[in-house]
Amino acid sequence: MQYLVDALSLGSLYALGALGIALIFGVMRLVNFAHGSIIACCVFSLIVPSVEAQAQLLAGRLPDWVLVPAVLAVGAGLSVVSEFVVFRRLRQANPATMMIASFALGFTIQNVLLLLYSSRPKSLDLWSQLGQSVELWGARIPFLQLITIGVGLLTLSALSFLLKHTRVGIEMRAAAEDFTMARMLGVRANAVITLTFAISGALAAAIALLLVSQTGVADIRMGLPIMLVAFIATVIGGLGSLAGSVAAGFLLGAVTVLLQVVLPLDARTFRDAFLYLGVIAVLVWRPQGLLASPTTVSRI
Amino acid sequence: MLLSLLLLAVAVAAALTGSEAVERTASEMFIRMVLVIGLYIFVGNSGVMSFGHVGFMCIGAYASAWQTLPVAMKQLVLPGLPQWLLDSSISPLPAAIFSALLVAVVALISGLVLMRLSGIAASIATFAFLAVVNVVYSNWDSVSAGTSSVVGIPVYANLWVTIAWAIVAIAIAFFYSVSRYGLALRAVREDPVAAQACGVWVYRERLVAYVLSAFVVGLAGVLYAHFLGVLNPDAFYLDNTFLALAMLVVGGVSSLSGAVVGVLSLSLLIELLVRMEDGVRFGETMLSLPGGAQEVLLGVAMILMLIFRPGGLMAGREIVWRKLF
Amino acid sequence: MSPLEVHDLSVSYGRLIALREVSMSLAEGETLFVTGPNGAGKSTLLKAVARIASPSRGRIVFCGEDTKDYTPEQMARAGFSMVPEGRHVLGSLSIEENLRLGTGMRQDRDAVARDLEEIYQAFPVLCERRSTTAALLSGGQQQMLVIARALMTGARVLAIDEPSLGLAPKIIDQVFEILMRLRDSRGLTLLIVEQSSTRAVIAGGRMLLLRGGRVVLEGMARELDAESLRRAYFGFEADGSDRVQPGEIRCNT
Repeated sequence: MQYLVDALSLGSLYALGALGIALIFGVMRLVNFAHGSIIACCVFSLIVPSVEAQAQLLAGRLPDWVLVPAVLAVGAGLSVVSEFVVFRRLRQANPATMMIASFALGFTIQNVLLLLYSSRPKSLDLWSQLGQSVELWGARIPFLQLITIGVGLLTLSALSFLLKHTRVGIEMRAAAEDFTMARMLGVRANAVITLTFAISGALAAAIALLLVSQTGVADIRMGLPIMLVAFIATVIGGLGSLAGSVAAGFLLGAVTVLLQVVLPLDARTFRDAFLYLGVIAVLVWRPQGLLASPTTVSRI
Repeated sequence: MLLSLLLLAVAVAAALTGSEAVERTASEMFIRMVLVIGLYIFVGNSGVMSFGHVGFMCIGAYASAWQTLPVAMKQLVLPGLPQWLLDSSISPLPAAIFSALLVAVVALISGLVLMRLSGIAASIATFAFLAVVNVVYSNWDSVSAGTSSVVGIPVYANLWVTIAWAIVAIAIAFFYSVSRYGLALRAVREDPVAAQACGVWVYRERLVAYVLSAFVVGLAGVLYAHFLGVLNPDAFYLDNTFLALAMLVVGGVSSLSGAVVGVLSLSLLIELLVRMEDGVRFGETMLSLPGGAQEVLLGVAMILMLIFRPGGLMAGREIVWRKLF
Repeated sequence: MSPLEVHDLSVSYGRLIALREVSMSLAEGETLFVTGPNGAGKSTLLKAVARIASPSRGRIVFCGEDTKDYTPEQMARAGFSMVPEGRHVLGSLSIEENLRLGTGMRQDRDAVARDLEEIYQAFPVLCERRSTTAALLSGGQQQMLVIARALMTGARVLAIDEPSLGLAPKIIDQVFEILMRLRDSRGLTLLIVEQSSTRAVIAGGRMLLLRGGRVVLEGMARELDAESLRRAYFGFEADGSDRVQPGEIRCNT
């Protein structure tokens, strides 16, 4: 039971990350390597710039009901600004260029954080009371994990609703599938892209909040591991399929926990290696991804 | 060929300054050049972005270390190595060749699997490969000393050694691109279906490029180990992957000159920024950047370079004698 | 006011010149067929009007406005809708979602609802399968969908690039029949790129023949005789003056 919750909670985190990456990839064919830095930025917006080991709260001082939207706004805002300043000019460029540019952006943001905050991880107390365990079906589960799962599911259903039942959502899906055709039908390209970036940024912020709460630490490299897994999940799930990325996120979370449990003690440190080998295996078996949309296979 | 002369000119200039620091920087640049040229052999010709090549560098570096470390040290620090390695220690050049060959073998095996993939799937798979290599080397303590460094590696990679290998790398890359293998692969890059219709076996061409590029990158790893004298798996992960790819893309991913120019320009830029951080004299005043600003400016510079020349500095063209006159 | 006027339009793709100083105009309510051999620049002409391709020279005037700085979305909102070559059905959306996609810019909801009804009546097969994912439709059904979708934008001028490409003759007949009926009932102005000149004749339209990026022949489809059409299409002078002599080898540019 404990493992199930672990898997779901980790999976939720990965799924949120995967969605953030997949959304932007869908509309612009851009792999946003800056995503991890945006997560880190959101974390650091909570504290005052300093080199101390003990963080002083900045935005972290705000009451919760203001804090959450504020951080979400930071994420969305930063993401939109990055689109405007960097990615808008690169829309016609080849994928390699866009990829490196996003890498460079992430690198730049990370080093700005480094300048302001130093590379020492800081301790940060955010909602640590959520770390308390709750007795559920015979297992002691940290309340935070339940929150993570809850947030994950809530976000996913909200986005799903947005995409399926609102005009904006349909336009986003259309733009993600065939950008030019959508434009020819009157869909405002810039608006859709900006909105996509904003949502992706907000997702990054959500991950940031959950991570900080979970680990109690603010470290400039915090977003990287999640971003990498999210990147992989997006591809495994099938490019062009948002549902696929989410599913793959959960799958990767489940497999990680499974490996942790199943592997003999000696091999545990190599857990990640097995995970990545598994990823390669999946890709070789189904290169287009697990849930690729039927339109991704191109006709000659 | 012109490129080699250009590099020689740089090397001579560096030697003339007489400053050891400059020579070291130039050596490091030449090592990076070998890496990026190796990367170009695969990425530039096939159009498939590979994140895993730095993993080959890691394998090559450690392999050379295993062969050349003094025996006593080996037995102390790396007890997990097979007996025949522990008992002997060979001279650098054969060690380098063997290491690169080992890397090529690993590339062959992994390539047999990975080259069946295309496009983004292949890129992710190469990234997974990098991650696997990193995890293995970071944790297999008895063989690689894990995250603590391996020290005491004989240092012989000075300016002239590195530039020699850089020229070798250029030669390999050049002869590959003009060979029918290179041509076939570039055809695949442009239009896989048409290429296949002309009888090109996509899988084989990619595999050839992959193994060859891994060989060169393995050499870069060897040089790196013998330059630094110290090895640590962290050096072979994201930061260097990003830097190598950036140098390639900024220079222009589809030409050899692009790879070289990319390394030159970014290395120069980094050097400049580091100097500026230390402080520059402008007559009476001393201008200096706050610590850490160097990386930020580097990132910004790269973004600007890409915005203004999205195809890279060389935009796919090569530096050729004819075009100069 | 003529809905579309093109003046001395030149379009290049890099160093390849696709259109050379092409001029043409559309009258309100007319049906213009653009035909010509491969590579003549027919699709490019439509793309330039739709603002997908940028002209290197020349002017395009749509409903009296110079479209120099328009984006494709703005053309769509101005009342021009293009159905590009290759159908481009948005496969991950359902039929109904596809149809509704183009209605975002229309203000009048009642008109939209009425239009949807009318479209479903005109294309019964779309009505039956309105919730199906568009990727699962057959070629002919997809072609009907994209035409219906373009009509749903409320456009007055509809441009269609190669509607018959890849479709069986009987299906092409069906598609054209519905298209012509809707044209008549709504007073549409049509610009169709089409290989077959027979349809042009049946539809009672005007024809424009492009070759090598230039207009080489123009006139009412009924009035053009087969011989001059053939000559223009394949690259011969209208008066036969360039007939190849026996034993002569000539390269056609």
